[in-house]
Amino acid sequence: MPYTTITPAEVKPVANYKLATRMEGGRLLYIAGQVARDAEGEVLGKGDIRTQARQVFQNLRNVLQAAGGDLSDLLKITTYITNIEDFPAVAEIRSSVFPGELPASTLIVVKRLAQPELLIEVEGMAALD
Amino acid sequence: MDRRDILADNPVEKRRGYMPGVSVSPGRILFTAGMTGRLPDGTIVPGGMAAQTQRTMERLQAILQHAGANFSQVIKQLLYITDMEAHAAHGRAVRAGFFGEARPTSTALGVRGLADPAMLIEIELVVDLPDSPTAKPLLEKYNVENHGLDFYQGVIVNGGRLIYLAGQVANNPDGSVAGVGDWKRQAEKVYENIGHILRTAGATTASAVKETTWVLDIASWRQHGTAVRRAFYQGDYPASTLVEIQGLARPEFLVEIEVIAAVAR
Repeated sequence: MPYTTITPAEVKPVANYKLATRMEGGRLLYIAGQVARDAEGEVLGKGDIRTQARQVFQNLRNVLQAAGGDLSDLLKITTYITNIEDFPAVAEIRSSVFPGELPASTLIVVKRLAQPELLIEVEGMAALD
Repeated sequence: MDRRDILADNPVEKRRGYMPGVSVSPGRILFTAGMTGRLPDGTIVPGGMAAQTQRTMERLQAILQHAGANFSQVIKQLLYITDMEAHAAHGRAVRAGFFGEARPTSTALGVRGLADPAMLIEIELVVDLPDSPTAKPLLEKYNVENHGLDFYQGVIVNGGRLIYLAGQVANNPDGSVAGVGDWKRQAEKVYENIGHILRTAGATTASAVKETTWVLDIASWRQHGTAVRRAFYQGDYPASTLVEIQGLARPEFLVEIEVIAAVAR
Protein backbone atom coordinates (compact mmCIF):
# COMPACT_ATOMS: atom_id res chain seq x y z
CA MET A 1 0.00 0.00 0.00
CA PRO A 2 2.42 2.71 -1.09
CA TYR A 3 0.05 5.60 -0.53
CA THR A 4 -0.95 8.08 2.15
CA THR A 5 -4.54 8.97 3.02
CA ILE A 6 -5.09 12.73 3.06
CA THR A 7 -7.39 13.81 5.89
CA PRO A 8 -7.98 17.56 6.04
CA ALA A 9 -9.54 18.95 9.23
CA GLU A 10 -11.86 21.32 7.33
CA VAL A 11 -13.60 18.90 4.94
CA LYS A 12 -15.77 15.87 5.58
CA PRO A 13 -16.76 13.32 2.94
CA VAL A 14 -20.41 12.72 2.08
CA ALA A 15 -20.04 9.03 2.92
CA ASN A 16 -17.40 6.60 4.22
CA TYR A 17 -14.63 7.28 1.67
CA LYS A 18 -11.20 8.88 1.68
CA LEU A 19 -11.12 12.52 0.56
CA ALA A 20 -7.82 12.01 -1.24
CA THR A 21 -4.87 9.67 -1.52
CA ARG A 22 -1.26 10.50 -2.36
CA MET A 23 0.82 7.86 -4.09
CA GLU A 24 4.22 7.53 -2.41
CA GLY A 25 5.85 4.91 -4.62
CA GLY A 26 5.33 1.57 -6.30
CA ARG A 27 3.54 0.91 -9.55
CA LEU A 28 0.55 2.88 -10.80
CA LEU A 29 -2.29 0.68 -12.05
CA TYR A 30 -5.12 2.02 -14.20
CA ILE A 31 -8.20 -0.22 -14.35
CA ALA A 32 -10.67 -0.05 -17.21
CA GLY A 33 -14.28 0.71 -16.35
CA GLN A 34 -15.67 -2.61 -15.15
CA VAL A 35 -19.17 -3.68 -16.09
CA ALA A 36 -21.35 -6.70 -15.29
CA ARG A 37 -20.13 -8.98 -18.03
CA ASP A 38 -19.15 -12.57 -17.34
CA ALA A 39 -16.18 -14.41 -18.85
CA GLU A 40 -18.12 -14.98 -22.09
CA GLY A 41 -18.88 -11.29 -22.41
CA GLU A 42 -22.57 -11.71 -21.58
CA VAL A 43 -24.26 -9.01 -19.50
CA LEU A 44 -25.40 -10.48 -16.19
CA GLY A 45 -28.40 -9.33 -14.18
CA LYS A 46 -30.31 -7.43 -16.82
CA GLY A 47 -32.50 -4.94 -14.96
CA ASP A 48 -31.03 -6.13 -11.65
CA ILE A 49 -28.72 -3.57 -10.08
CA ARG A 50 -27.69 -5.81 -7.19
CA THR A 51 -26.48 -8.63 -9.41
CA GLN A 52 -24.69 -6.16 -11.67
CA ALA A 53 -23.04 -4.30 -8.78
CA ARG A 54 -21.74 -7.55 -7.24
CA GLN A 55 -20.32 -8.67 -10.59
CA VAL A 56 -18.70 -5.30 -11.25
CA PHE A 57 -16.86 -5.28 -7.92
CA GLN A 58 -15.83 -8.90 -8.45
CA ASN A 59 -14.43 -7.99 -11.88
CA LEU A 60 -12.62 -4.99 -10.36
CA ARG A 61 -11.08 -7.27 -7.76
CA ASN A 62 -10.09 -9.80 -10.43
CA VAL A 63 -8.09 -7.15 -12.29
CA LEU A 64 -6.42 -5.96 -9.07
CA GLN A 65 -5.49 -9.51 -8.12
CA ALA A 66 -4.19 -10.25 -11.60
CA ALA A 67 -1.88 -7.26 -11.10
CA GLY A 68 -0.72 -8.60 -7.72
CA GLY A 69 -2.86 -6.30 -5.60
CA ASP A 70 -6.27 -6.09 -3.99
CA LEU A 71 -9.05 -3.65 -3.17
CA SER A 72 -7.01 -2.09 -0.34
CA ASP A 73 -4.49 -0.82 -2.92
CA LEU A 74 -7.03 1.40 -4.69
CA LEU A 75 -6.24 5.11 -4.71
CA LYS A 76 -9.58 6.13 -6.16
CA ILE A 77 -12.71 4.72 -7.74
CA THR A 78 -15.41 6.30 -9.86
CA THR A 79 -18.86 4.72 -9.84
CA TYR A 80 -21.09 5.51 -12.82
CA ILE A 81 -24.74 4.54 -12.60
CA THR A 82 -27.64 5.19 -14.97
CA ASN A 83 -30.42 5.63 -12.36
CA ILE A 84 -29.98 7.57 -9.13
CA GLU A 85 -32.67 5.31 -7.62
CA ASP A 86 -30.12 2.48 -7.82
CA PHE A 87 -27.63 4.31 -5.60
CA PRO A 88 -28.80 2.96 -2.18
CA ALA A 89 -28.42 -0.63 -3.39
CA VAL A 90 -25.02 0.15 -4.93
CA ALA A 91 -23.86 1.89 -1.75
CA GLU A 92 -24.91 -1.11 0.34
CA ILE A 93 -23.07 -3.63 -1.85
CA ARG A 94 -20.05 -1.36 -2.15
CA SER A 95 -19.84 -1.08 1.66
CA SER A 96 -19.89 -4.85 1.98
CA VAL A 97 -17.08 -5.10 -0.60
CA PHE A 98 -14.99 -2.48 1.22
CA PRO A 99 -15.37 -3.38 4.90
CA GLY A 100 -13.42 -0.32 6.05
CA GLU A 101 -13.16 3.06 4.42
CA LEU A 102 -13.61 3.32 0.65
CA PRO A 103 -10.83 4.76 -1.50
CA ALA A 104 -11.25 8.33 -2.74
CA SER A 105 -14.54 8.14 -4.56
CA THR A 106 -16.74 9.88 -7.12
CA LEU A 107 -20.34 9.05 -8.00
CA ILE A 108 -21.81 10.16 -11.33
CA VAL A 109 -25.21 9.47 -12.91
CA VAL A 110 -24.75 9.22 -16.67
CA LYS A 111 -27.27 8.95 -19.52
CA ARG A 112 -26.12 5.48 -20.44
CA LEU A 113 -23.13 3.15 -20.53
CA ALA A 114 -21.57 1.25 -23.44
CA GLN A 115 -24.62 -1.00 -23.81
CA PRO A 116 -28.18 -0.08 -22.80
CA GLU A 117 -28.45 -3.11 -20.43
CA LEU A 118 -25.54 -1.91 -18.29
CA LEU A 119 -26.65 -0.17 -15.08
CA ILE A 120 -23.28 0.37 -13.37
CA GLU A 121 -19.63 0.82 -14.30
CA VAL A 122 -16.72 1.27 -11.87
CA GLU A 123 -13.18 2.32 -12.75
CA GLY A 124 -10.18 2.95 -10.53
CA MET A 125 -6.49 3.51 -10.03
CA ALA A 126 -4.26 1.70 -7.57
CA ALA A 127 -0.75 1.94 -6.15
CA LEU A 128 0.94 -1.48 -6.07
CA ASP A 129 4.04 -2.56 -4.16
CA MET B 1 7.81 3.08 -18.06
CA ASP B 2 8.05 -0.67 -17.72
CA ARG B 3 4.44 -1.11 -18.80
CA ARG B 4 2.59 -4.29 -17.86
CA ASP B 5 -0.73 -5.18 -19.46
CA ILE B 6 -2.97 -6.90 -16.93
CA LEU B 7 -5.32 -9.59 -18.12
CA ALA B 8 -7.64 -10.93 -15.44
CA ASP B 9 -8.29 -14.68 -15.20
CA ASN B 10 -11.75 -13.95 -16.54
CA PRO B 11 -10.97 -11.66 -19.43
CA VAL B 12 -14.37 -10.03 -19.71
CA GLU B 13 -12.88 -7.44 -22.05
CA LYS B 14 -11.75 -10.12 -24.50
CA ARG B 15 -11.96 -8.92 -28.12
CA ARG B 16 -13.27 -5.57 -27.01
CA GLY B 17 -10.25 -3.55 -27.99
CA TYR B 18 -9.06 -2.50 -24.58
CA MET B 19 -7.09 -3.81 -21.62
CA PRO B 20 -8.65 -4.59 -18.20
CA GLY B 21 -5.65 -3.04 -16.48
CA VAL B 22 -2.32 -1.45 -17.26
CA SER B 23 0.37 -0.80 -14.66
CA VAL B 24 3.47 1.34 -15.04
CA SER B 25 6.34 2.49 -12.91
CA PRO B 26 5.40 6.16 -13.04
CA GLY B 27 8.30 8.22 -14.29
CA ARG B 28 6.71 10.73 -16.64
CA ILE B 29 2.92 10.69 -16.91
CA LEU B 30 0.99 12.89 -19.36
CA PHE B 31 -2.62 13.90 -18.71
CA THR B 32 -4.48 15.43 -21.64
CA ALA B 33 -7.49 17.70 -21.48
CA GLY B 34 -10.70 16.32 -22.89
CA MET B 35 -10.40 16.99 -26.63
CA THR B 36 -13.22 17.41 -29.16
CA GLY B 37 -13.83 18.04 -32.85
CA ARG B 38 -13.18 21.76 -32.42
CA LEU B 39 -11.65 23.69 -35.30
CA PRO B 40 -9.23 26.64 -34.95
CA ASP B 41 -12.11 29.13 -35.38
CA GLY B 42 -13.96 27.60 -32.42
CA THR B 43 -16.64 25.86 -34.47
CA ILE B 44 -17.10 22.08 -34.52
CA VAL B 45 -15.95 20.19 -37.60
CA PRO B 46 -18.96 19.38 -39.84
CA GLY B 47 -19.74 15.79 -40.81
CA GLY B 48 -21.06 14.19 -37.64
CA MET B 49 -19.54 11.51 -35.42
CA ALA B 50 -16.93 10.15 -37.85
CA ALA B 51 -15.55 13.60 -38.66
CA GLN B 52 -15.58 14.70 -35.01
CA THR B 53 -13.82 11.54 -33.88
CA GLN B 54 -11.19 11.96 -36.61
CA ARG B 55 -10.56 15.59 -35.65
CA THR B 56 -10.47 14.72 -31.93
CA MET B 57 -7.91 11.96 -32.48
CA GLU B 58 -5.74 14.18 -34.69
CA ARG B 59 -5.67 16.83 -31.97
CA LEU B 60 -4.80 14.22 -29.34
CA GLN B 61 -2.06 12.94 -31.63
CA ALA B 62 -0.55 16.44 -31.75
CA ILE B 63 -0.57 16.58 -27.93
CA LEU B 64 1.13 13.17 -27.79
CA GLN B 65 3.70 14.15 -30.42
CA HIS B 66 4.59 17.30 -28.49
CA ALA B 67 5.52 15.02 -25.58
CA GLY B 68 7.43 12.64 -27.87
CA ALA B 69 4.76 9.98 -27.46
CA ASN B 70 2.32 7.97 -29.56
CA PHE B 71 -0.92 6.07 -29.04
CA SER B 72 0.84 2.84 -28.04
CA GLN B 73 1.88 4.54 -24.79
CA VAL B 74 -1.65 5.48 -23.73
CA ILE B 75 -2.62 3.72 -20.50
CA LYS B 76 -6.16 5.11 -20.16
CA GLN B 77 -8.76 6.64 -22.43
CA LEU B 78 -11.99 8.19 -21.23
CA LEU B 79 -14.73 8.71 -23.81
CA TYR B 80 -17.63 11.08 -23.25
CA ILE B 81 -20.26 10.47 -25.89
CA THR B 82 -23.66 12.08 -26.41
CA ASP B 83 -24.87 9.39 -28.86
CA MET B 84 -23.58 5.88 -28.19
CA GLU B 85 -25.23 4.34 -31.26
CA ALA B 86 -23.62 6.89 -33.58
CA HIS B 87 -20.27 6.20 -31.92
CA ALA B 88 -20.62 2.45 -32.37
CA ALA B 89 -21.55 2.94 -36.01
CA HIS B 90 -19.18 5.74 -37.04
CA GLY B 91 -16.72 6.64 -34.27
CA ARG B 92 -15.20 3.41 -33.01
CA ALA B 93 -13.53 2.43 -36.28
CA VAL B 94 -11.93 5.88 -36.56
CA ARG B 95 -10.45 5.56 -33.07
CA ALA B 96 -9.25 2.03 -33.79
CA GLY B 97 -7.32 3.35 -36.80
CA PHE B 98 -5.25 5.59 -34.51
CA PHE B 99 -4.68 2.97 -31.81
CA GLY B 100 -3.77 0.13 -34.17
CA GLU B 101 -2.72 -2.83 -32.03
CA ALA B 102 -2.36 -0.68 -28.89
CA ARG B 103 -4.73 -1.46 -26.03
CA PRO B 104 -5.22 1.10 -23.26
CA THR B 105 -7.68 0.73 -20.40
CA SER B 106 -10.92 2.45 -21.32
CA THR B 107 -14.17 3.87 -20.00
CA ALA B 108 -16.99 4.96 -22.30
CA LEU B 109 -19.79 7.12 -20.92
CA GLY B 110 -23.03 8.29 -22.48
CA VAL B 111 -23.43 11.86 -21.24
CA ARG B 112 -26.13 14.50 -21.59
CA GLY B 113 -23.96 17.23 -23.05
CA LEU B 114 -20.49 18.59 -23.73
CA ALA B 115 -19.10 22.13 -23.71
CA ASP B 116 -20.71 22.96 -27.09
CA PRO B 117 -24.15 21.51 -27.98
CA ALA B 118 -22.73 20.47 -31.38
CA MET B 119 -20.10 18.24 -29.76
CA LEU B 120 -20.84 14.52 -30.03
CA ILE B 121 -17.65 13.12 -28.52
CA GLU B 122 -14.86 14.17 -26.17
CA ILE B 123 -11.79 12.06 -25.39
CA GLU B 124 -9.07 12.38 -22.76
CA LEU B 125 -5.95 10.29 -22.28
CA VAL B 126 -3.42 9.30 -19.62
CA VAL B 127 -0.06 8.44 -21.15
CA ASP B 128 3.09 6.77 -19.85
CA LEU B 129 6.00 8.67 -21.41
CA PRO B 130 9.13 6.66 -22.16
CA ASP B 131 11.97 8.97 -21.17
CA SER B 132 13.47 9.75 -17.77
CA PRO B 133 12.02 12.47 -15.52
CA THR B 134 15.48 13.41 -14.25
CA ALA B 135 16.45 17.09 -14.62
CA LYS B 136 12.97 18.11 -15.74
CA PRO B 137 10.56 20.45 -13.93
CA LEU B 138 7.91 18.70 -11.82
CA LEU B 139 5.09 19.85 -14.11
CA GLU B 140 5.17 20.72 -17.81
CA LYS B 141 1.91 22.38 -18.83
CA TYR B 142 1.53 23.05 -22.54
CA ASN B 143 -0.75 23.83 -25.45
CA VAL B 144 -0.34 22.72 -29.04
CA GLU B 145 -2.97 25.19 -30.29
CA ASN B 146 -3.71 28.82 -29.47
CA HIS B 147 -7.18 28.07 -28.13
CA GLY B 148 -7.38 30.98 -25.69
CA LEU B 149 -9.41 28.96 -23.17
CA ASP B 150 -8.85 28.43 -19.46
CA PHE B 151 -6.98 25.12 -19.46
CA TYR B 152 -3.84 23.43 -20.75
CA GLN B 153 -4.14 20.76 -23.41
CA GLY B 154 -1.43 18.61 -21.87
CA VAL B 155 0.22 18.41 -18.44
CA ILE B 156 3.24 16.17 -17.85
CA VAL B 157 4.14 15.06 -14.32
CA ASN B 158 7.87 14.37 -14.06
CA GLY B 159 8.61 11.98 -11.23
CA GLY B 160 6.07 13.47 -8.84
CA ARG B 161 3.78 11.90 -6.29
CA LEU B 162 0.26 11.80 -7.74
CA ILE B 163 -2.65 12.90 -5.58
CA TYR B 164 -6.12 11.62 -6.42
CA LEU B 165 -8.97 13.62 -4.90
CA ALA B 166 -12.44 12.24 -4.44
CA GLY B 167 -14.98 14.18 -6.47
CA GLN B 168 -15.79 17.26 -4.41
CA VAL B 169 -19.29 18.56 -3.90
CA ALA B 170 -20.73 21.52 -1.94
CA ASN B 171 -20.70 19.55 1.29
CA ASN B 172 -20.41 21.26 4.68
CA PRO B 173 -18.52 19.47 7.49
CA ASP B 174 -21.85 18.91 9.30
CA GLY B 175 -23.19 17.04 6.26
CA SER B 176 -25.49 19.80 5.04
CA VAL B 177 -25.33 21.12 1.47
CA ALA B 178 -23.92 24.61 0.93
CA GLY B 179 -25.88 26.74 -1.52
CA VAL B 180 -28.94 24.65 -2.28
CA GLY B 181 -30.10 25.85 -5.71
CA ASP B 182 -27.20 28.34 -5.82
CA TRP B 183 -24.59 27.60 -8.49
CA LYS B 184 -22.14 30.28 -7.38
CA ARG B 185 -22.17 29.25 -3.73
CA GLN B 186 -21.73 25.58 -4.66
CA ALA B 187 -18.80 26.45 -6.93
CA GLU B 188 -17.19 28.42 -4.09
CA LYS B 189 -17.70 25.60 -1.61
CA VAL B 190 -16.37 22.94 -3.97
CA TYR B 191 -13.19 24.91 -4.65
CA GLU B 192 -12.84 25.75 -0.95
CA ASN B 193 -12.92 21.99 -0.21
CA ILE B 194 -10.44 21.26 -3.00
CA GLY B 195 -8.12 23.98 -1.65
CA HIS B 196 -8.18 22.47 1.86
CA ILE B 197 -7.43 18.99 0.53
CA LEU B 198 -4.59 20.19 -1.70
CA ARG B 199 -3.00 22.09 1.20
CA THR B 200 -3.25 19.07 3.51
CA ALA B 201 -1.55 16.99 0.82
CA GLY B 202 1.32 19.48 0.58
CA ALA B 203 0.08 20.89 -2.72
CA THR B 204 -1.23 24.22 -4.02
CA THR B 205 -3.77 25.17 -6.69
CA ALA B 206 -0.86 25.25 -9.16
CA SER B 207 -0.23 21.57 -8.38
CA ALA B 208 -3.47 20.55 -10.13
CA VAL B 209 -2.73 18.40 -13.15
CA LYS B 210 -6.15 17.31 -14.38
CA GLU B 211 -9.64 18.46 -13.52
CA THR B 212 -13.00 16.96 -14.44
CA THR B 213 -16.05 19.12 -13.83
CA TRP B 214 -19.38 17.29 -13.79
CA VAL B 215 -22.38 19.61 -13.89
CA LEU B 216 -26.14 19.24 -14.19
CA ASP B 217 -26.29 22.24 -16.53
CA ILE B 218 -23.41 23.63 -18.55
CA ALA B 219 -25.05 27.01 -19.24
CA SER B 220 -25.58 27.64 -15.51
CA TRP B 221 -22.01 26.55 -14.75
CA ARG B 222 -20.68 28.99 -17.38
CA GLN B 223 -22.74 31.79 -15.94
CA HIS B 224 -21.90 31.27 -12.26
CA GLY B 225 -19.03 28.82 -11.86
CA THR B 226 -16.40 29.91 -14.36
CA ALA B 227 -15.45 33.09 -12.48
CA VAL B 228 -15.01 31.13 -9.24
CA ARG B 229 -12.80 28.63 -11.06
CA ARG B 230 -10.73 31.43 -12.63
CA ALA B 231 -10.15 33.04 -9.22
CA PHE B 232 -9.10 29.68 -7.79
CA TYR B 233 -6.45 28.84 -10.40
CA GLN B 234 -5.30 32.40 -11.20
CA GLY B 235 -4.07 31.42 -14.63
CA ASP B 236 -2.19 28.27 -13.60
CA TYR B 237 -4.78 25.87 -14.98
CA PRO B 238 -4.77 22.07 -15.16
CA ALA B 239 -5.79 20.06 -18.22
CA SER B 240 -9.55 19.88 -17.91
CA THR B 241 -12.81 18.34 -19.06
CA LEU B 242 -16.34 19.74 -18.62
CA VAL B 243 -19.27 17.34 -18.86
CA GLU B 244 -23.03 17.66 -18.39
CA ILE B 245 -24.55 14.65 -16.65
CA GLN B 246 -27.92 13.47 -15.30
CA GLY B 247 -27.28 13.49 -11.60
CA LEU B 248 -24.97 13.32 -8.58
CA ALA B 249 -25.11 11.53 -5.22
CA ARG B 250 -27.70 13.91 -3.77
CA PRO B 251 -30.39 15.81 -5.68
CA GLU B 252 -29.15 19.12 -4.19
CA PHE B 253 -25.70 18.82 -5.74
CA LEU B 254 -25.33 20.85 -8.94
CA VAL B 255 -21.62 20.28 -9.55
CA GLU B 256 -18.92 17.78 -8.66
CA ILE B 257 -15.26 18.42 -9.43
CA GLU B 258 -12.45 15.91 -9.23
CA VAL B 259 -8.81 16.85 -9.36
CA ILE B 260 -5.58 14.98 -9.86
CA ALA B 261 -2.55 16.86 -8.53
CA ALA B 262 1.14 16.16 -8.05
CA VAL B 263 3.87 17.15 -5.62
CA ALA B 264 7.62 16.53 -5.74
CA ARG B 265 9.07 13.30 -4.40
